[in-house]
Amino acid sequence: MGVKKIPSEVRMRKPPVSFLAVVLCLGLALVLLAETLVVKIQTTQVRKDPKFYAQVVAVLKAGETAERIGSQDGWFQVKTTKGIVGWVHSSAVETRKFNLFAMDKNLKTQASASEVALAGKGFNKQVEASYRAKHGEISFAWVDKMLEIKIPPAEVEDFLKKGKLGEFRGSK
Amino acid sequence: MRRPQFVRLTGILLLVIAAASCSVVQQGTEILAQTGKISESDKNSIIKTSEAIRSTFADITEEEEYYIGRSVAAMILSRYPAYNNDGLTRYINTVGNAVSYFSNRPEVYAGYHFLILDTDEVNAMAAPGGFIFISKGLLKRCKDEEMLAAVLAHEIGHVTAKHGLQSIKKSRLIDAFKILGTEAVQRYGSEQLAQLTGIFEGVLGDVVESLIERGYDRKYEYEADRQAVAITVRTGYSPAGLTDFLGTMVGDKSTASGKGWFKTHPSPEDRLERVKAEISSVKSIPLRAAVRIARFKQNVGNLK
Repeated sequence: MGVKKIPSEVRMRKPPVSFLAVVLCLGLALVLLAETLVVKIQTTQVRKDPKFYAQVVAVLKAGETAERIGSQDGWFQVKTTKGIVGWVHSSAVETRKFNLFAMDKNLKTQASASEVALAGKGFNKQVEASYRAKHGEISFAWVDKMLEIKIPPAEVEDFLKKGKLGEFRGSK
Repeated sequence: MRRPQFVRLTGILLLVIAAASCSVVQQGTEILAQTGKISESDKNSIIKTSEAIRSTFADITEEEEYYIGRSVAAMILSRYPAYNNDGLTRYINTVGNAVSYFSNRPEVYAGYHFLILDTDEVNAMAAPGGFIFISKGLLKRCKDEEMLAAVLAHEIGHVTAKHGLQSIKKSRLIDAFKILGTEAVQRYGSEQLAQLTGIFEGVLGDVVESLIERGYDRKYEYEADRQAVAITVRTGYSPAGLTDFLGTMVGDKSTASGKGWFKTHPSPEDRLERVKAEISSVKSIPLRAAVRIARFKQNVGNLK
């Protein structure tokens, strides 16, 4: 009887240890999965489904963040800071990266890309204005007209549909 | 038994803490900034301390790429007038946007925009940030939507791979990045601005020289062709649009006199051979559809 008791004690001790390990691994996985994404383009739409012509549920501007909760074919499923869940294309966002071993401020003499983006610095509107003041012969009128040409995703969807393209293509 | 387990568990725990602290740094600073405990610039400087500095074209931000692209586009438009035809421009933009959805970079800072240049020169160019130009001369060579889609997909391929930005001399970027410094001020002082504007002029010169004068390195053109095949196939267009287009350029003496596409691109024979090889590896090749041939004719058929 006494001999049988020992294995049962071992069984009693073992499960909590492996359980703890599993919990920690899951915790690690969750932390790694819950990445913070930063919008790197002027504006991007959070869509109901991973498609450009899916319903828009939120709009995010440059520098705004969202938590990544999933991914599929180049799209990230995100949760916005307001708690809205939807999809953004991976090309519209970047993952905020940290290097905990480079915390010494004295080592830094230059700005990183994302802080330049955050500060709206670099080659920006002010630099363009300064360039334009020097080069009156270069007209930006057509560039601004070009930017006004916007094809709504619903129109592109209709174009794809009528042209039997994308997901609307026939088998032949 | 217990000791190795303890060591293993401690290791896992440390990993979890390290991973978690990355987001804690950020979330913590966000919260402090929101509650007014620290300023926005403090928040940024806390976040930035652990990030890498900029050194290459890949570190140019989307916004900077957009501003470089705007000025490059303006310079292109100072050499070639725009072809003012709303209906045709809208059609080109619809085809362009449709294929951009199937590229590796459908989202650029301010979206893709396409414009026709009023010249009989056969040419197409992509300024950084998604400003894409196609000449009337090139458009007239396209016999159907597949050919047009292939040319636009080739240009999108250049934007996707940032070929324009790669033509900027590295020394110029290093100078610019140095001036930018670490201070998160919103506006530049006059001396900084004058220096940056000078560098900006140099940057534009490098990109325009590649686009209009010298052309890209051959390997970039081949890469854009590979992208064009992949993008058109994903969209559902026949990739033969690209080979058909290149076919019209083979042995063409009229425009081969050194203008436009001929001056800045490798020989069409060379590209044709590579593109054919690329297409041969495509598993399922989409076919042309009558509906697309008809709408192309309707939109482009009357172009003179």
